[in-house]
Amino acid sequence: MPPSIHPVDLISALRQKHLTPAIVFLTSRRACDEAMEAFDHANCVLPTTRQEAIAKALEQVMARHPSIAEHPLISIVQRIGVAAHHAGHLPTWKIAIEELMRQGHLDAVFATTTLAAGVDFPARTVVITQSSIRKSRDFTDLTAGEVQQIAGRAGRRGKDHVGFAVITPSPYIDLSVLTKGLTGQPEAIDSQFTISYPMVLNLLKAHPHEHIQGILAKSFAQFQLNQRADVLEQKLDALHIKMEPFGPRVCTDWITQWHTFDHARRHRHTRHPTYRAEPPEISARLPFLTPGRVVGFSRGRGIVLRQYRSKGQRNSMLTVLRPENAVTECPVTSVKELYDHIYDCPETSAYPWCSTDTFDRLSHQLDELPLRLPLLPILVSSNSEPLPDAIVQSLEDFSCPTCPSRSACQKDFLTASRLRQEQQRHTKSIQALRTSLWHRFQERVEVLQKFGYLTLTTQLTAEGEWARLIRIDHSLLITELIRAEAFTGADPSLLAGILASLAHDDDRPGAFPRISPGLSSLLGQVRKLAESLSPYEDPPLLRADVAALVERWVADQTITWIGLCRLTTMAEGDIYRLLARSLEYLSQVQTLKGTHPGLAESASQAITAIRRGVLEELP
Amino acid sequence: MFHEKDMTTDELEQLLAQQPVAVLHRLARGRVQRHFRAGKRRLIELLLQHSSQNRAGFESDLLTLIGERQAPSPSGASRNPGTPPIAHKRVAIRSSDLEPSEPPISLSEWLQGIGVPTPQPFVQDPWQIEALAAVSETDVVISVPTGSGKTYVAIEAAGRAMADNRSVIYTSPLKALSNTKYAEFSKIFGADKVGILTGDRQENGQAPLLVMTTEILRNLLYDAASGEIDVRLDTLGLVILDESQYLADPERGVVWEETIIFCPSQARLLLLSASIGNPQDIADWLTSIRATPCRLVRHSKRTVPLRAGYLHPNGRLTPLFRTLGIPQGHPGHLHPEAKHLFIEYEEETLPSGRPRR
Repeated sequence: MPPSIHPVDLISALRQKHLTPAIVFLTSRRACDEAMEAFDHANCVLPTTRQEAIAKALEQVMARHPSIAEHPLISIVQRIGVAAHHAGHLPTWKIAIEELMRQGHLDAVFATTTLAAGVDFPARTVVITQSSIRKSRDFTDLTAGEVQQIAGRAGRRGKDHVGFAVITPSPYIDLSVLTKGLTGQPEAIDSQFTISYPMVLNLLKAHPHEHIQGILAKSFAQFQLNQRADVLEQKLDALHIKMEPFGPRVCTDWITQWHTFDHARRHRHTRHPTYRAEPPEISARLPFLTPGRVVGFSRGRGIVLRQYRSKGQRNSMLTVLRPENAVTECPVTSVKELYDHIYDCPETSAYPWCSTDTFDRLSHQLDELPLRLPLLPILVSSNSEPLPDAIVQSLEDFSCPTCPSRSACQKDFLTASRLRQEQQRHTKSIQALRTSLWHRFQERVEVLQKFGYLTLTTQLTAEGEWARLIRIDHSLLITELIRAEAFTGADPSLLAGILASLAHDDDRPGAFPRISPGLSSLLGQVRKLAESLSPYEDPPLLRADVAALVERWVADQTITWIGLCRLTTMAEGDIYRLLARSLEYLSQVQTLKGTHPGLAESASQAITAIRRGVLEELP
Repeated sequence: MFHEKDMTTDELEQLLAQQPVAVLHRLARGRVQRHFRAGKRRLIELLLQHSSQNRAGFESDLLTLIGERQAPSPSGASRNPGTPPIAHKRVAIRSSDLEPSEPPISLSEWLQGIGVPTPQPFVQDPWQIEALAAVSETDVVISVPTGSGKTYVAIEAAGRAMADNRSVIYTSPLKALSNTKYAEFSKIFGADKVGILTGDRQENGQAPLLVMTTEILRNLLYDAASGEIDVRLDTLGLVILDESQYLADPERGVVWEETIIFCPSQARLLLLSASIGNPQDIADWLTSIRATPCRLVRHSKRTVPLRAGYLHPNGRLTPLFRTLGIPQGHPGHLHPEAKHLFIEYEEETLPSGRPRR
């Protein structure tokens, strides 16, 4: 939402107090463009001398970057002396605006907060109109670091005695966020260490497996994890001191002892020894009578749905699916044969003890069963007496009732066991903090072994040797695509299109109606593969519109930049970034010259084809 | 709270109107779609509309939020663990926390001193001298505000290393920034002394001073470790990592860590960073993994002092704080006029009652 004050009034108020040049930070690209239009509508025309100065400065920039010569905004900027500056513009245009600002020709620049983190671009005054910024679809409050980053643009070294940060409210501003940000300390930064597949391959290429843990331990991530672990260690030490009065008593581990005793005492009355008189050949069968098992009766066959014990019956009972969808209950003794044939049948808690789908499938499968089925060999042990449960102890086994420290144990048990649980929890988390990076590394190693980039002895395979050169996001998907020969014989434009859809991670909508059938089918394959790889790697957006745009730019060498921009609703700056990122991905593929000469050649052709017009100007 | 049950819609509306917008947004989270787009008045309308579905739940949420705001309690900390506690120290704007007794400054005082300073001969800041002395011996982390002259330290340090016949690598996070620095360094040291390596540009790759993006350096270090290429890493004397606060970047931060971990031990590291909260941690980390103990150079004083102002939508400008500069650590020291105007602004966006003119 734009600020409550009209942009023209805002700048004239600042100009009146000699607070220009200013950078006005707005929430959205659109707000920036609209502010500029507002100036245009208000007919704020600069004196001719200043217009000429701007024209002259722009000519100098044009000499270096001819692509901006026909920029539609030139005449407006010249007339009104303010400009918009955001990621939707071409880099060359942004350079021109920065140059104008540096030379002091502009009164104001309307910018989004991305500027704050970018190039060196100061002004006398910054105007803050918001207390939150859009981060991945939601608005979050500015952090102190971000507020200071914005305010840091105020005051040019050598050109100003003082810099000013002016806050002007917009409808959803929270002033306290800004005052706290201005007066507070910037936030501590945290490590964002992640272990990627190419990192694993490159590490294992250069270092033996046993050295890796030491290398990971050198990361800032591990440093910060260790800091947290140290805090826990201190807590643990404090707990040890607290535990001292509860040290060994008559028995060394009195807490567990008391716990078991207490438990046994409480459950004394509910524990019945169960005696079931089942002949050994029946009880040997029980473990096999699980849901899905095919069994034979004196007449016909059936599939077990569940096994249960019923109070009225001496024997275990079965619920069985019989032919013609009949569900019957019968004792296990009525089962004559057990077949070595089992179906998948997840148990559910209510009749018919499996889901409807499974039920339909099973009854169908029962009808389709072959006439002869192999029998399940079951070994009946002659010594079928069930072993006495070693864990079950009678209360007499405990020494606690007569123990001299019984009353002390009873009194301290709650505190002591709570302390000990805390101790165990801390020990576990310390363990996790110290080894989590290594575990994540091992997980990655296992995946790479599964896909055949690493041998079981963690040596790089031939595939791994080239795969480690792809050091970009979605590397696993890209290397798998190369292995699946998805790009074999593909045109450079197709390759560029696919890589563009992999590289583009922005979900700002764009529109491009036409996509070639070749690219469309290839993209379908890529989607399928990406989906199957999703347990190991987050799938990319794989937008067809951006793929088609890049394909067109590569395939149609006659299309101009303006023509390309007309094909889509994407902003110029976004198209530029898309192409630049595609270049980056293509140059990674190009490094596979040694192993995939055809593919590398195709990539380098695509690179030459992309680098023309605007993209040639900025190296 | 008995009135909780028989709160009329009007009362609720008034209560909502008294709350700061932040509370309303908190309340609207999960209730109103795209609530961040709405102004205060519209937000209250939307909330009231929504509250007809579950009035009791809505009111109790509102009262808890108000309670939380009045008494910042540990319950706030338990709500979202993981964020540093600093974020929960809610200081209400209207709180009268120990305001200084001297009168607030006037607008004319605040505006004094605008203008262009007369050009002065360049004098090194003490921190720059300190940093340059340290970088010849050991690794250095510099954390200073934007625009304090970090680039000067980079240039001087690079010049000294080159004079010593050691090569220098300078990295920046953005390609555009690399290109700017390449042009700048070429002007200072001469075009034959400076080279650039980016994803698709390789110029003068054998020059003693190489400018590149951090990703490229990371790749070089990996390739060198596996013995594939020979980039004179043994003569490498200095690695300058500009904008090191990118270490905390969710996507690319890992590249800075890899670069630092694999940086050859004989090369000095110079980390240039904007103001961050824990530069000491970074320095301690470097000390723990590098051969020599790392030096931290930090200060938070801006070269060009900063003043904050408040511009009311009617065009009135006042200082934002009572003091001329920024009252560090006292967000409550607002200028009475700014405070008054802002409350007026919040009230003007009330749902009921017309804006006062």
